[in-house]
Amino acid sequence: MDPGEEPPSMLWGLDPIFSAFARLFVSDILQMTESTQVPGIYFYNWHPIYKVDVLGTVVYKRERDDFFCYGVDDGTGVINCLCWKSNLLKEEEDPRTSGAAHSDAALGGFNPVAELKKLRQNQQKRCRLEIGELLRVRGRVKTSRQQREIMASTFYKVDDPMMAVQIAWMMEVPQLYRQFYDKRFQLDAAGSAESSLCKATNLIKDFLKQRLVTKFRPYDVQDLLQPLIAARLQTTATEQEPVAGPSGRQQLSHLLKEVLQVLQNDGVVYRKVKSQDEVYHVTLQDKDLFIAVKDVIREDSRREKYAESGCHVLHILSAVRQRYSLNLTKAALELVLKTLECDSDIVSTSDSHYVAL
Amino acid sequence: MLPPAAVFRFPWEVNSVKEGESVRTFGRFLPLFRLVCYQPDESRATLTAQHASKEHPVLVHTQFVEPFNPIIGAQYLVLGETENYEGVGVVVRARVLNCVDGVNIALLQKAVTEQRSFFTERECKQPEEFSKSLL
Repeated sequence: MDPGEEPPSMLWGLDPIFSAFARLFVSDILQMTESTQVPGIYFYNWHPIYKVDVLGTVVYKRERDDFFCYGVDDGTGVINCLCWKSNLLKEEEDPRTSGAAHSDAALGGFNPVAELKKLRQNQQKRCRLEIGELLRVRGRVKTSRQQREIMASTFYKVDDPMMAVQIAWMMEVPQLYRQFYDKRFQLDAAGSAESSLCKATNLIKDFLKQRLVTKFRPYDVQDLLQPLIAARLQTTATEQEPVAGPSGRQQLSHLLKEVLQVLQNDGVVYRKVKSQDEVYHVTLQDKDLFIAVKDVIREDSRREKYAESGCHVLHILSAVRQRYSLNLTKAALELVLKTLECDSDIVSTSDSHYVAL
Repeated sequence: MLPPAAVFRFPWEVNSVKEGESVRTFGRFLPLFRLVCYQPDESRATLTAQHASKEHPVLVHTQFVEPFNPIIGAQYLVLGETENYEGVGVVVRARVLNCVDGVNIALLQKAVTEQRSFFTERECKQPEEFSKSLL
């Protein structure tokens, strides 16, 4: 990988692998290129990586006052792991405390001193490994004296008498590679079909709001989406070889159809009358609808049946459908009710009951 | 200095590896009444594995892992370097000899094959692009 090809550091955090402990093969950890922008960051297949998770057999060990140095072999490579001793491990056993523990333990009951001692012994057992034992290490990758090593943030011995953990690891890691590490991270990976729909929806929504549109037909707003389609055609034309696909015109009408469906599902628009003539009414601009809904709630709130608890949404819906438009959707009605409530024209008595003021 | 990586080899492959290569392999300690067994005075043990209805013995030099408690008939995992002796054949000089009795051999074989096929697949798929991304 050329240094110039490195992804810009500003985008690294967007790669989910960046903030995870990557379970790479040791051979890959040893071969990753270090970033020229920020030392301590490495690239595997354009993924920025700085911390890893490794499981392997200890084939080399050295103990110092402050740390252990283990050579870990996972079958693909061997890497040095620097494992700092925790204070629990370093503390020499104090004869006084051990004596006290014995006398208290004889009395029975919970003894914090004895428990702490047990904990310390356990920790020592887990941290002090012999050659041939299995070690799991998580930590930062570091290069010191041209040698790559792992600065362990967590490390412990794994009891694996029947190799179950090792086998599971060997099966899992190739899957992780196939699904994540070997796939190139692309920022606009999700940005193809899905977000263009989002963009288009927002575009139409903004247009309706700004111009206070009350009703429209699809061909009135079709041209608004034209730039999106043009941009999409351009990128595909530069990225791939020309393939026989839907023409721009078809894509446009398809996108528009999807957008209108989303707007209807959200209740932003609805069709007052279903007929050949495709007219969409903008819910929030439909004064008559607001009046109809208010009337229904006001009248029914007076009736004894609803006076106490208020009218249920579904009751309002059926009443408004009878009185105003058979095609009114529940989503549209809910939007109207929300707006009315914001204006203090109605009050909700529960999450689906309303009374008029 | 770190030792070289010990790549998994099946017992029936050990005889075909180059001299000096680090391997890890598995096998069962031969029962005592067989001709070859653990000979403490010579630091030599024999592991065997069955594959395709054939017994595949692996000679292991145990000097570096002694003293150890040989359990005849148990599964062991060996990690070490191969050496070629005239008249004897390939001997694995063990650095690690772990008793892994009860290991699911079929699953272990599957895991090793899986890992190998992953590596060959990766090399075939993107030899240029991949080496470029590593360099």
